[in-house]
Amino acid sequence: MLDHILSILIFFPAIAGVFGFMIQKDSVRAYGVAVATIEFALSLWLWFSFDSNVSGMQFMEQLPLVPAFGINYILGVDGISLFIIILAAFFTMIGIASLTETKDVKNMIISLLFLQMTMVGVFAALDAIVFYIFWELSLVPMLYIIGAWGGPLRIYASVKFFLYTFAGSLVMLVGMLFMAYFYFQATGVWSFAILEWYRLILPENFQLWLFAAFFVGFAIKVPMFPFHTWLPYAHGQAPTIGSVILAAILLKMGTYAFIRFSLPMFPDASAFFMFPIAILAIIMIVYTAMVAYAQEDVKQVVAYSSVSHMGVIILGTFALNVEGISGSIFLMIAHGVVSGALFLLVGVIYDRRHTKMMNQFGGLASVMPRYATIFGLMLMASVGMPLTINFVGEFLSLLGFYKQSHVLTILAGTAIIVGAIYMLAAYKKMFFGTVTIEENKNLPDVNKRELLALVPLAIITVWLGVYPNPVLAPINKSVESIVQLMHDKSITEEAKSRIPNLVHGIEITRTTVEEAH
Amino acid sequence: MEIGLNHYLVLSTILFAIGLIGVMRRKNLLLLFFATEILLNSVNIAFAAISHYYGDLTGQMFAFFVIAIAASEVAVGLGLLIVWHKRHGTIDLDTMSTMRG
Amino acid sequence: MEFYLYLALFAPLAGSLFAALFGASPKTIVAGLVPSILLFVSFVSSTVLLVHILSGGAVVHVEMMTWMATGDLYIPFGFVVDQVSVTMMMVVTVVSTVVHFYSIGYMDHDKGFNRFFSYLSAFVFSMMVLVMSDNFAGLFIGWEGVGLCSWLLIGFWYHKESATWAANEAFIMNRIADLGMLVGIFLVYWNTGTLQYEQAFAAMPSLGTDILTLMGIFLFIGAMGKSAQFPLHTWLADAMEGPTPVSALIHAATMVTAGVYLVVRAHPLYDLIPNVGLFIASLGAFVALFAASMALVNRDMKRIIAYSTLSQLGYMFVAAGLGAYWVALFHLMAHAFFKALLFLGAGNVMHAMHDELDPFKMGGLRKVMKGTFIMMTLASVALAGIYPFAGFFSKDLILEVAFVEHHYIIYTVLLFTAGLTAFYSFRLVALIFHGEERYKLFGIHPHEAYKFMLVAMSPLLLLAIIAGSFKMSYFEMVTQVLPELEYHIHHPVTFWIMTIGTQLFVIAAIIFAYRKYANAKVTVPDGTSKIENRLCYKVLSNQYYIPYAYEEYVVKPYRELSTVLWKQVDMKIVDATVDGIAGIIYGTGEKTRDMQSGNLSTMLKWMVAGTVGLLSLAVVFGLAVRYSAEIKAILSGLGV
Repeated sequence: MLDHILSILIFFPAIAGVFGFMIQKDSVRAYGVAVATIEFALSLWLWFSFDSNVSGMQFMEQLPLVPAFGINYILGVDGISLFIIILAAFFTMIGIASLTETKDVKNMIISLLFLQMTMVGVFAALDAIVFYIFWELSLVPMLYIIGAWGGPLRIYASVKFFLYTFAGSLVMLVGMLFMAYFYFQATGVWSFAILEWYRLILPENFQLWLFAAFFVGFAIKVPMFPFHTWLPYAHGQAPTIGSVILAAILLKMGTYAFIRFSLPMFPDASAFFMFPIAILAIIMIVYTAMVAYAQEDVKQVVAYSSVSHMGVIILGTFALNVEGISGSIFLMIAHGVVSGALFLLVGVIYDRRHTKMMNQFGGLASVMPRYATIFGLMLMASVGMPLTINFVGEFLSLLGFYKQSHVLTILAGTAIIVGAIYMLAAYKKMFFGTVTIEENKNLPDVNKRELLALVPLAIITVWLGVYPNPVLAPINKSVESIVQLMHDKSITEEAKSRIPNLVHGIEITRTTVEEAH
Repeated sequence: MEIGLNHYLVLSTILFAIGLIGVMRRKNLLLLFFATEILLNSVNIAFAAISHYYGDLTGQMFAFFVIAIAASEVAVGLGLLIVWHKRHGTIDLDTMSTMRG
Repeated sequence: MEFYLYLALFAPLAGSLFAALFGASPKTIVAGLVPSILLFVSFVSSTVLLVHILSGGAVVHVEMMTWMATGDLYIPFGFVVDQVSVTMMMVVTVVSTVVHFYSIGYMDHDKGFNRFFSYLSAFVFSMMVLVMSDNFAGLFIGWEGVGLCSWLLIGFWYHKESATWAANEAFIMNRIADLGMLVGIFLVYWNTGTLQYEQAFAAMPSLGTDILTLMGIFLFIGAMGKSAQFPLHTWLADAMEGPTPVSALIHAATMVTAGVYLVVRAHPLYDLIPNVGLFIASLGAFVALFAASMALVNRDMKRIIAYSTLSQLGYMFVAAGLGAYWVALFHLMAHAFFKALLFLGAGNVMHAMHDELDPFKMGGLRKVMKGTFIMMTLASVALAGIYPFAGFFSKDLILEVAFVEHHYIIYTVLLFTAGLTAFYSFRLVALIFHGEERYKLFGIHPHEAYKFMLVAMSPLLLLAIIAGSFKMSYFEMVTQVLPELEYHIHHPVTFWIMTIGTQLFVIAAIIFAYRKYANAKVTVPDGTSKIENRLCYKVLSNQYYIPYAYEEYVVKPYRELSTVLWKQVDMKIVDATVDGIAGIIYGTGEKTRDMQSGNLSTMLKWMVAGTVGLLSLAVVFGLAVRYSAEIKAILSGLGV
């Protein structure tokens, strides 16, 4: 079973989703929770059987799809994708478990299960076409979730989300086809296997063009400034569960793809574009933090804060050294946990008051103390308090980039200031002061079902902040091999000097490549 | 003066032009069918002439195909035309705009 | 010894978590008592460690577990108890134990009693991490942890707008400085390859001065925020919105001295860059005078003491900047005792006066509050630096350091500030405890605080009196790690003239303060008297208009710019561009849909036109391919 665990992880929720149509409406919630729990247990099993001492891909599966064009169904995980898969399974589980009463709950749960299939598929795929298929398929359930259960502007928001990201992905697809063509020209065989592509050393000008093509697709997904405007609409209109999954997992596809595709395939282009991208990332950090500060709707604050944090992740990724990339991957998980929790928390108050405008609140700390405490914890995690999960990622990302540029890191470091400004301002508006509005006086505190979702997140937030090693060590192992690969592959002087050479890493790289066969 | 390939082709072209203008200008559905028949037959002439010129029977075979298809097209088309006329009492093209985008 | 180390470190955390269990329930005395007792345990453990170190024992160094490890970076949770950190541990545990027991009485009637103790103990834990850590990252954990607890405690009465505003201000201003600290840490890591103090400092002498200067400056920026040095000082006065025990513990004795501790801890670095040291000393001297001047006219009891704290922090930075690290640490310790005592006394007064803070509305309180009166007076004497109280030994040493190192400007500034310190301290004492009983006008019936609160304060009183006598043994202890500089003015005559001169100057200032404010003529100012309309009074009482300037030129523009960025840039430029592109595509479709009129003959016309167009294109391309050579020739002839 362990040989096919990734396929099981991908298709089990989808098959269960199909069977879900046959389940009675009353029991579909229990069914959904059961399926998601089994899936999560499987993902944990994956983690326990994962060998942290191996830097390459594990649990690989291969099945020819279109052999003539080298399109194969290849799956595998390494330290980079492992934890995002677990996170996806975890969030689907608590998302379904904490689902509030909605219309058509059956369709919602089935959509979520399909969404889970696509999410796991994206992170497990090692073939560009399979990756692309899951990448695009993930749009469909999310389109449906936003469009069917969203707010008043849901149609506009969902169409914008779909078309915007879809347009970007098409450019990425063109890039993939060109990459496969170059591979064909170089070797005489067609292949879409990512690990095969890693071995291809391209001339610098080819790299630049391909990097740009991939960049469009990834940057819109992340979303990077100035391609971010679909996100506030999507978050603003999506139901709570949609926002949670979107922020926690779907956004990570973009940053994950940067590490899976752009860095190892185009090391010279990555070094070439490092500074422009870093500047974009800094604009993202500071600009969206300021925009977040101006918001009146608390959900929009969290939405814009997501963009701001994604800026730090991008910065860490393009630090091109082990510290920075490990930090950015860790921050992906951290940001998933924290922003997911924040969206859940916003959902809690929205369920009670049916508004998200901050001027409708005030003084909630005395009415809902437990809610205020958990919100406070997540707020502190979001502003990067040490011993919470976010700090580890932010610290490592910025530390890594500091090697590349002092001034830009100082500018990016303002993230810790501007982040504190909008978060504290929002917290103050919602929780501090006296209760002025009559409806707020008797709001019930968080109930058991909500605690079921929030408490595990709070525990993870502190646990991985205090002891990040179980996650950081496997990440580190895989990142080392990627950095070494990049260093070995790079051809320009610039890239050679920017990407460190890890002395002990050469052998690791070889095994990675050989495992691909 | 012997009648050669060029004469046939010129005839075919003239017929094709007449058919084309008919297709563009006619407002009566029945006359539109006539115009398409002229178009198809102009092509048939060209097929037959070229086939004879090269001594290759493929062209003439194609002409038969075209005739067969034209016949079936007219059969279906006229059927629809009659139904349309029964329902609306007219076969003026300007009244048929349900496919408006 | 490791056991005592862990006990000293984790007892406050246990206390905090214990109190947190009762966070949402109504007041229980247990929630206050248990953390206090656990803190006492922590204090006893620290004492055991102190005795161990004093008796020449080895430095206790433990590595609990790995925190972060990636690439070449390795950060453990490591703790070290050496001569410096044990001093800080003693200061922290003594003051916080006293403050905890005191708070049981002070917070007696507060709804958030349990919550308060949870925060307060969490603060102590963070502070212990800060001082005991053996690496910069651990220091940063504590650094941010105390910032968080400070935020929680300043905003403890969260229903008050001013309190939450001050809490956020403090947090954000500290964050600005923390960025500097973080950059300093990055510099240390990329240049020395480690964040462990020992290895990092060992590697520093081989680095270039430029890098070291940058490191020193950025780390000091971090220290400036926590220790509220100019221009990041405004938060400290506003932080007085928090409960008074908090002010005593956090904003006088411990957290604000973290900056000094950092400079002392990083002394191998600052020894290498005397220029930065001189800058630190100059800034310290400036802040000493600057803060003291603001304390002169202020009419808020707690703010006066806060400015005094600021001023004394300036003194500490002078000593640290001039390389006299042990003197800075010594003054830190002495200051912690008498300043915490002063704040707790002020807390008693506030309780008695129903949270009235204006000393002009008090007067004559010595009759009803004898114990508090004695304690605050003695604390003020210690602060003013009168022999033989603690302040004399530590503060005089700093003056000597400045003199011996030939920084006469700094010396003069500090001497003048010493006079100001004495003046404003006794202005406060005189206004509160002497003169007419002006509070009667406001219908207040003051009462002395609970007996056990006074008892709880007494250890601080004792220490404020006798701390000076530890000077020599203390010197011997810390100079095992800190540079062994003993300051002696070469000529005994100069020494005696200076010491006695300073004493006389200070005493004169005290007498002046008493004569001006202890008499019956003092009235509650109403904004009409001559002095209140003087320009310099206005400048001082408005804190040099700096908070106003920050509000007007930083906060407001930031808020406005944010709104503009959202409403104008994000909505009207970035998003509108995207929608515009979509709009163009959509509009094109909208316009061309007329082609699909549904009219068969129109559509046939389009069909014919399309066919003709495609045919002509085919012909043109065909011709172009056939005659490409000729076309190229013609084009090259045209010079294309």
